Amino acid sequence: MVKSTSKDAQDLFRSLHSAYSATPTNLKIIDMYVVFAVFTALIQVAYMALVGSFPFNSFLSGVLSCVGTAVLAVCLRIQVNKENKEFKDLAPERAFADFVLCNLVLHLVIINFLG
Amino acid sequence: MMNLSRSVALISLFLLPLLSFSFSVDNPTDQRVLVLLDDLSLKSSHSIFFGSLKSRGFDLDFKLADDSKLALQRYGQFLYDGLIIFAPSTERFGGSLDSKSIADFVDSGRDLILSADTSASDLIRGIALECGVDFDEDSSAMVIDHSSFPLSDGDHTLIAADDLVKSDVILGKSKIEAPVLFRGVAHSLNPTNNLVLKVLSASPSAYSANPSSKLSSPPQLTGSAISLVSVMQARNNARVVISGSLQLFSDRLFRSAVQKAGSPNKYEKSGNEQFATELSKWVFHERGHLKAGSLVHHRVGETDEPAIYRIKDDLEFSVEILEWSGRSWEPYVADDVQVQFYMMSPYVLKTLSTDKKGMFHTSFKVPDVYGVFQFKVEYEKLGYTTLSLSKQIPVRPYRHNEYERFIPTAYPYYGACFTTMAGFFVFSFVYLYHK
Repeated sequence: MVKSTSKDAQDLFRSLHSAYSATPTNLKIIDMYVVFAVFTALIQVAYMALVGSFPFNSFLSGVLSCVGTAVLAVCLRIQVNKENKEFKDLAPERAFADFVLCNLVLHLVIINFLG
Repeated sequence: MMNLSRSVALISLFLLPLLSFSFSVDNPTDQRVLVLLDDLSLKSSHSIFFGSLKSRGFDLDFKLADDSKLALQRYGQFLYDGLIIFAPSTERFGGSLDSKSIADFVDSGRDLILSADTSASDLIRGIALECGVDFDEDSSAMVIDHSSFPLSDGDHTLIAADDLVKSDVILGKSKIEAPVLFRGVAHSLNPTNNLVLKVLSASPSAYSANPSSKLSSPPQLTGSAISLVSVMQARNNARVVISGSLQLFSDRLFRSAVQKAGSPNKYEKSGNEQFATELSKWVFHERGHLKAGSLVHHRVGETDEPAIYRIKDDLEFSVEILEWSGRSWEPYVADDVQVQFYMMSPYVLKTLSTDKKGMFHTSFKVPDVYGVFQFKVEYEKLGYTTLSLSKQIPVRPYRHNEYERFIPTAYPYYGACFTTMAGFFVFSFVYLYHK
């Protein structure tokens, strides 16, 4: 029983890995960026749990910058992914321009709120 | 024209001495005292007491209690600064005096010495009741003490009392060694009244009863609840002394030797003269009268008083308190004056330190609460005039550009924000130009 479940897990993992390798490179780059942003957010939350939330506005600003940019990257990925029927007519350049603009606004707000 | 200005000058010259003929803010000792007697022989039988008052500069005006020309006020001005009522058996005062006019007299800040004796009329009891002192209801009762009497006495109604209040202000710096002789009626004070004070209490073995008849039921007033001499300092700092014995002030008791029963000490002179003299100094504001200057506050490092403080400011506070010595204003020295920084409740309470020249100062940090605060100095020390000073000052929160910046604890957050921005920049290059 145990052997079969561990073999199942290995099979599952291998199939996921091979399916993922098939995705286009630009999507993989976006995924890496999202992972980086979420990772930075988690580090900040762990730090706050240790030290306390003294400059709470700084904490919020830091976490929001990471989470916000991750969300914007996910939106970019959805719009650029060729397998999505919804965004078939949207030019990927337009999607990237939206991404850049939103990030600019986000970082402006972040710097203001950072204190 | 010359004549007119000359006569005006002459009249004002005459008026000037009259203007300084009463107590004032700068000179709080009373000057003119009306003495009401029910028997003019009291002038001679109490001559030592009156003589000591006259030698201290008081202007005594002796009148019989039923004199029809008695008046405390004329045209709205008070004629006297102090009143001594040594008329225990008077039922009604003459002239325009009655218990209401005497109550008005005390309400205006003027002082009173009231004495009952072995008999106290309803009028005297009524005046004492206005001041918070309850004489014994039984009109024939006197204070009897079978263990605190002087050896010379027969029926134990003359008491040798030494239970004095411990106050240098009221009774003077030197301790009264000899017991004080007392023969008269008992009175009690309401324990919830915090304006009256027992100056001379009876010993625990005293009681108030009729000395010539047998007791049918236990006496109502007993022990240390009996006060022999009490004082009251009203909220406007008028001082009242109420004594149950007129004989306490008499020459005979001033001069008599005392040996208390059961005690080996024999005193040549009773403590009555020292007691009465010191008490009269206190009641007529020769001692224990305080005056405070205005409250001064400013930020540390500045000298001007700001119109508004910010939270967490450092500020310095000072106040000047002077004590009247009988002739001049001396610096007041004490270590228990406190200031509160008050808004509904005191956020800061600090004891002021003194430089022994009358200035009391301290410094503290404004609390982390904004609103309208008051600096409050509420000083109520036994025997001293009450000081109640306050000054309002608002406190504002930080302006948007006064907050702390570059807080070290927040460096990781700053780092995270800039890292994210850098990451976004790098990502956009990689995304656009990858192969």
